[in-house]
Amino acid sequence: MDSLKTNPNVCTYIIDSQEEEIKRIAHELHEGVGQNLYSILTGLQFLATGEQDSSKKSYMSEMNLLIEKTIQEIRLLSVELHPPALTTLGLLPAMKSYIRCYTSTFGIIVELESSGEGKLITEKQRIAVFRVCQEALTNIAKYADTAIVKMNFFWKETELKITIRDFGKGFQPEEFQGNEPSSGLAAMKERMLLIGGKCVISSNIGEGTSIEISLPLSN
Amino acid sequence: MSELRELPELVIVCERLRAEIGCDFVGLALQNESGPDVRWHYASGNLNDKYKRITVRFGKGIAGKIISSGSPMMITNFPNSIIGKVTDYPINLAEKLVATYAVPLFFSGIPKGVLLIGKREEYFFAEEEQEKMAESAQALEQLIKEHLF
Repeated sequence: MDSLKTNPNVCTYIIDSQEEEIKRIAHELHEGVGQNLYSILTGLQFLATGEQDSSKKSYMSEMNLLIEKTIQEIRLLSVELHPPALTTLGLLPAMKSYIRCYTSTFGIIVELESSGEGKLITEKQRIAVFRVCQEALTNIAKYADTAIVKMNFFWKETELKITIRDFGKGFQPEEFQGNEPSSGLAAMKERMLLIGGKCVISSNIGEGTSIEISLPLSN
Repeated sequence: MSELRELPELVIVCERLRAEIGCDFVGLALQNESGPDVRWHYASGNLNDKYKRITVRFGKGIAGKIISSGSPMMITNFPNSIIGKVTDYPINLAEKLVATYAVPLFFSGIPKGVLLIGKREEYFFAEEEQEKMAESAQALEQLIKEHLF
């Protein structure tokens, strides 16, 4: 019996399916659960205006706050899963929106600069590049011990180059072979390879880590 | 509310707690006067100023869980045996805290703040230390009530 050969397209298929599912859940949270909660909130606010009893009014106000917190968390969760800006506005606005959320979650400042004229890239490429940047920033929050990150987008005629530099403690890449951080780094490289790009990670102890992502652009 | 960190009585309570328990970090998170955001308003023993930029996520991490549940919580060996992801615990990551114990601060019977102590090594906070935390939390509730309401 012949065994089924490994097909590199399978990886792409699995990733695409996962992304579709993530997008569906994010949309459902934002447009479904989030909207319903918002309707409950406005209903409660309407009821509160007609309430004379001060203790009931105060209780309603606390419920208001609790619903507001829940709506906020649903929105953040949805944006974390799949930022709507990635589909509607593009990679850079989605990155800016994610960075705002990242700074308020981890307290790490990301200085983002973009040079050159932004080019149109496919949704698949946008999602892959976004996920690689997201993974890089998450690794920084987990391991780098830094308060500032510099991120640069260079839009060239035939290439998009993104550099992410932290100024943290750094690591010896060869010492992490087979460990969890290394799996994350390998996944970042693999994900870029699947869309025809590259991801180069360099680091030294005490000197921080630098990640360079490049994606060829067709004219 | 940012001037809370300049309130001398509040600083005294937190510093005394840090000295008595011998912990590395003390933090105080409070819900903003308007809106649902919960932020860290005071920290002592901090390694950096990341805490000032962190907004506590409702139901996430030690502070978020305390605000949503109203019950104390202890982590003895972060990131082992935590519920959720490592990234759900930003204050532990930002301040390299391995052991944390936190209690809610109640205002009008609702948890609207968190008092957190932490060590940068594995540790179990004993009952006596938990009682000291409860006393400090009560004192802080009173102080904040007087200052804000």
